[in-house]
Amino acid sequence: MSRLSQHLYVPLCIVGLTALAVRLSSAAQTPQQSSGSKPGTQPTYFIEHPDHIQPGLALQGTLNTLTNPFEGNAARIAEGAKLFIAYNCMDCHGADGSGAMGPSFQDNRWHFGGTAGDVFQSIYEGRPEGMPSWGKRIGDDEIWRLVAYVQSLSKGHDVATENFTGKTIARSGH
Amino acid sequence: MLERPAFCLVGSLLMLTACQRGEVSATRDSVFVAGTKIATPASNPDGEWAMPARDYSSSRYSALAQITPANAKNLHVAWTFSTGVLRGHEGQPLVVGNTMYLVTPYPNVAYALDLTQPGFPLKWKYRPENAQAAVGIACCDVVNRGSAYADGKIVYNLLDGHTVAVDAATGTQLWRTKMGDINRGETITMAPIIVKGKVIVGSSGGEMGVRGWIAAIDIATGRQVWRAYNVGPDSDMKVGPRFKPFYSQDRGANLGISSWPGDSWKVGGAVVWGWISYDPELNLIYHGTSNPGPWNGNQRPGDNKWSAAIIARDADTGEMVWAFQPTPHDIWDYDAVNENILVDLPIGGATRKALVHFDRNGFAYTMDRATGQVLLAKPFVPMNWSSGIDLNTGRPNVNVDKATAQGKNIKDICPSLEGGKNQQPAAFSPKTGLFYVPTNNLCMDFEGREVTYIAGTPYIGGNAPEKGGPGGYKGEFIAWDAVNGKKVWGIQEPFPVWSGVLATGGNVVYYGTLDGWFKAVDARNGKVLYQFKVGSGIVGAPMTYTGPDGKQYVAVYSGIGGDMGLLIAGDVAANLPFDVRERGTTLPDLARYTSWGGMLFVFSL
Repeated sequence: MSRLSQHLYVPLCIVGLTALAVRLSSAAQTPQQSSGSKPGTQPTYFIEHPDHIQPGLALQGTLNTLTNPFEGNAARIAEGAKLFIAYNCMDCHGADGSGAMGPSFQDNRWHFGGTAGDVFQSIYEGRPEGMPSWGKRIGDDEIWRLVAYVQSLSKGHDVATENFTGKTIARSGH
Repeated sequence: MLERPAFCLVGSLLMLTACQRGEVSATRDSVFVAGTKIATPASNPDGEWAMPARDYSSSRYSALAQITPANAKNLHVAWTFSTGVLRGHEGQPLVVGNTMYLVTPYPNVAYALDLTQPGFPLKWKYRPENAQAAVGIACCDVVNRGSAYADGKIVYNLLDGHTVAVDAATGTQLWRTKMGDINRGETITMAPIIVKGKVIVGSSGGEMGVRGWIAAIDIATGRQVWRAYNVGPDSDMKVGPRFKPFYSQDRGANLGISSWPGDSWKVGGAVVWGWISYDPELNLIYHGTSNPGPWNGNQRPGDNKWSAAIIARDADTGEMVWAFQPTPHDIWDYDAVNENILVDLPIGGATRKALVHFDRNGFAYTMDRATGQVLLAKPFVPMNWSSGIDLNTGRPNVNVDKATAQGKNIKDICPSLEGGKNQQPAAFSPKTGLFYVPTNNLCMDFEGREVTYIAGTPYIGGNAPEKGGPGGYKGEFIAWDAVNGKKVWGIQEPFPVWSGVLATGGNVVYYGTLDGWFKAVDARNGKVLYQFKVGSGIVGAPMTYTGPDGKQYVAVYSGIGGDMGLLIAGDVAANLPFDVRERGTTLPDLARYTSWGGMLFVFSL
């Protein structure tokens, strides 16, 4: 198995975490600076970070700009589809990615963000409700193939309205 | 005419039995099967419900008889309670004394409701530690099938593999014991039973390549007393000199290894996620085991013992006494975990100590529970994978056209992998002698493929989209005569009947539907006496109790989920903005009628 981009993620990740650490440390200093007289329970300063409400947005410009080397590459996407079966992804997320134990990939909705970097991170690190962490088990090049395949499943989908004369998907129970 | 005489309500067990007999002779219904009885009726008062199926025999029968075919039309909703949790509400509440005990799906909150106070306020609420990762390890939604009461303790299982005991009076956690490992794919959804101070539990994970076991925990200390595996060497399975299976092909040393290729038994499934029964006289517990892992049979030629099996074990030691595989070398996901109802039946001029089991594979088995002999096995749903059971061996005659295989897409196998019946427990009424069985009428296509074992991920190796079975209905609530192996009557439903059943001394039986209808039915003829549309589809099991006011109440969870809600319908969820699924082909209209919920509904006259 090719390990071309095995180390692609790690340096960028370090860059990202460093950036985060800088922001956190500067934020941590703010209350100290403004509450020099006595420790109070009420901040005496005004916090205005329009991006701090949604988790992950603080990382914008770092992880989110990670680009998938296989973006739009049909051959790599097809390989990703095979990996989706080989690593048992299909039995959690549905044979066609339409959702089973785990969430659907056909709805163009993303619990932890839908950029290539977000999806890479979800696979690499795992997620709290049972998504395993694959980063130490499979190569980055394989994860990128999976990212490309998973993202391809919902291109152009809009599932906001369910019309009961509409599409159905063959599902398999356990 | 069929009203129970007043003295029956307060009668001793002896009087009650006499009363049942007397009333039966007055009934003279064609559906009556004479000479049948529950093996071990519950010993607690009629108005209580202290274990999952009310009694050790798993009858789900209560002698309460205020609600009758004559007055059931006056039923109405008496009160409701929101559990605060969505997803599949399987199982049933308990009532002990004047307290009702509930357990929710993950995160498995327990509630104690004071039935003596207006509005039924909580006595306590217990929120256990419960690892979130378990949610994605559970194959078929994050269900819990209920608690059991004994010695002043409420005992139940957590999805993340723990068993807990709390003080029934205060809700204080008394012990919390790790029994399963989610890192290996083990979760726990089943309801324990408590036998002579031992809590009997098993795990889920038949789709995750786990190695199935059943264990006993000391209710006083929370310490494991014994653990028996269902695959592997005889020593692990607690197979010894007492092991005497009825059929010769089931005898021999270390069958839990030799009926598997290589080390494949180590990830061979055979978990105990269903209901457990107990016969105090024989001192045997009865449990089923799940499908073998993986579904793809080409990776595990052999009988795969003791997956897809019914097993009798000594309640004190866990020793295996007999075992029987309804589906040897299962290649259709036909778990044998469905409940084993223990009854005494008149068969061939003698009273037999029977075990009645409605298997996923579509056959209803009437067995001798002392020996494991199959007395009768008849289809209770439409099926085509087998032409029948050979009573000389107990084995099915398999229709080779419907045998699944790696690399082949076998079409139109009936029943589907959901089985003729699944988790939804049946009930037995000694008044009619009939079994009341919630069934599925689904078929499937099955394409097997090779699969690699990766710990904590599904180990399945097959894709099996499902569709409605023959006849234009997808479920049927049936009354079954287990002496003759015959359906007596049935109510066809547009969706699989995925709820459990309650049978009562008033000759009213109760069940619910996936689209949210709660129904009271005449036990003798299947006439629907009352129905009410609850908020969310019913996958739990109704129970009945007597309130402090002396009235009979019937309680049931409303809250669609489980396999049908999460996997098959898919689109009944509405609470996850990041997971918006399209309709499934199997039940394409279900979400028109119901969405996820989590409510207790209580009915009375």
